Amino acid sequence: MQPVNRMKTEFLSKSSNEAFARVVAASFVAQADPSIDILADIRTAVSEAVTNAVIHGYEEKEGIITMECILYQDHVEIIIEDHGKGIEDIEQARMPLFTTRPDLERSGMGFTVMETFMDSLEIESAPGKGTKIRMTKQLVYR
Amino acid sequence: MLMDVRFKRDGTALIAYIEGEIDHHTSRILRERIDSKFIVEPVKNLIMDLSRVTFMDSAGIGFILGRMKKVSSIGGEMSIRNPRPEIMKMLKMSHIDSLIKLDT
Ligand SMILES: Nc1ncnc2c1ncn2[C@@H]1O[C@H](COP(=O)(O)OP(=O)(O)O)[C@@H](O)[C@H]1O
Ligand SMILES: [Mg+2]
Repeated sequence: MQPVNRMKTEFLSKSSNEAFARVVAASFVAQADPSIDILADIRTAVSEAVTNAVIHGYEEKEGIITMECILYQDHVEIIIEDHGKGIEDIEQARMPLFTTRPDLERSGMGFTVMETFMDSLEIESAPGKGTKIRMTKQLVYR
Repeated sequence: MLMDVRFKRDGTALIAYIEGEIDHHTSRILRERIDSKFIVEPVKNLIMDLSRVTFMDSAGIGFILGRMKKVSSIGGEMSIRNPRPEIMKMLKMSHIDSLIKLDT
């Protein structure tokens, strides 16, 4: 399938960029004229993935996060990547309520939110290498 | 300004009117402002008015549960008021609506 449009951006792993990333992703997808609900879901999922890169990937130290959005006729693919700590056990990380940082009042619901709000979620990660999140969302109700 | 909070006291309850976006970045500030206010006011219950919250991700869940623990540790009660539909979706998904009193 041919992409209709594509963008890629990189930014520092600062918590203030969580809002930046979700606003940028939503305004890029908005050109496909999806419903408000779909845009809200995308905003939330992007916020989760970027927050994870900031808190868990780079442990609030400086690093670079990249975000790529690929727009297709009927769906969008969003890839968010860090080169931080990586995940030891991906299956465990995906479980609702699982968090390695209860001290930060994390709820352990990030991956569950991404899974529920998007149509697909793939996690590629290796300890010491980093984490790549790939999510897709249908833009047209079929 | 991504987030702001205003307070009002109603008997034994502190009402926090939160406005804007609740994420990992803003929840840290919000937590400090609410906790420090809650401690100096002669109250034991906390009401969070979410009617002007336009965005909330899972950081908001951790933030709400964290305040709930604090409030119940002193024998008080916490409740949530007027969440918008998008925020309600997040609250329902995390089953917070079964732990905290919700007035819609
Ligand atoms: N980008 C990442 N880099 C390293 N670890 C991660 C990353 N994203 C998630 N994790 C791990 O997966 C766990 C679950 O993530 P999540 O469901 O978002 O919950 P939370 O962020 O509330 O801890 C995190 O506690 C962390 O241990
Ligand atoms: Mg998370």
